[in-house]
Amino acid sequence: MLPLSLLKAAQSHPMLVELKNGETYNGHLVSCDSWMNINLRDVICTSKDGDRFWRMPECYIRGSTIKYLRIPDEVIDMVKEDALAKVRNRTEMNKGRAGGGGQGNVQNQNQRNRGGNRNNSNNRNMQGSASASGGVRQFSQNNRSAMQQNKLGK
Amino acid sequence: MASTLEQYINHTVSIITADGRNFIGTLKGFDQTINIILDESHERVFSTTSGIEQIVLGLHIIRGDNIAVIGQIDETIDSRLDFANIRGEPLGPVVH
Repeated sequence: MLPLSLLKAAQSHPMLVELKNGETYNGHLVSCDSWMNINLRDVICTSKDGDRFWRMPECYIRGSTIKYLRIPDEVIDMVKEDALAKVRNRTEMNKGRAGGGGQGNVQNQNQRNRGGNRNNSNNRNMQGSASASGGVRQFSQNNRSAMQQNKLGK
Repeated sequence: MASTLEQYINHTVSIITADGRNFIGTLKGFDQTINIILDESHERVFSTTSGIEQIVLGLHIIRGDNIAVIGQIDETIDSRLDFANIRGEPLGPVVH
């Protein structure tokens, strides 16, 4: 499991962030990125010596200034669920690719073919950006076929 | 002898951080910058006047920048230690 996946799974959960300068920030995680930059809401900042406090509605912390993050214990189980869901999605897509039976699969292949007939370079871009997660990919395919149908309608 | 952290996954490890603290916990994950997921972790605070104090912390992500040493703990030896009677100077921070 990757630390940044765990952090992503901790979105909307409360956490404690200690910075390298010793200050701590308690708040709810709004968002994070691949550099560990994070966005907190309803924050209480504590000075290094622990005797001064500041309340702020939100703050943004540069990832490189972080020493560690303390996260609720239950979040680690939610990552496992995420990973399982991804694997399940992928195997289902592979079944679709192997093709053959099932109306759902046939439909799926049709969408893929239509997308391929369109603009080739554009198509490649969309697939590249969507390949991060099965869910997003599925979405982009649906989106694409919706766009196609719009075209056909006109 | 482990050549990557992969072999420490799901084992108890001791992490010494750049500020001289010692975290113990189960290694659940890591990445290319040695950011670490430490589950069921606690901190051991050394003192010359009283025994080792263990502070329960829970689930942690420790940023790789802040990590100095990672070592696997032999749980059978560790469980035999009498922390209340071990004295020691606390570590200082890493000096650059």
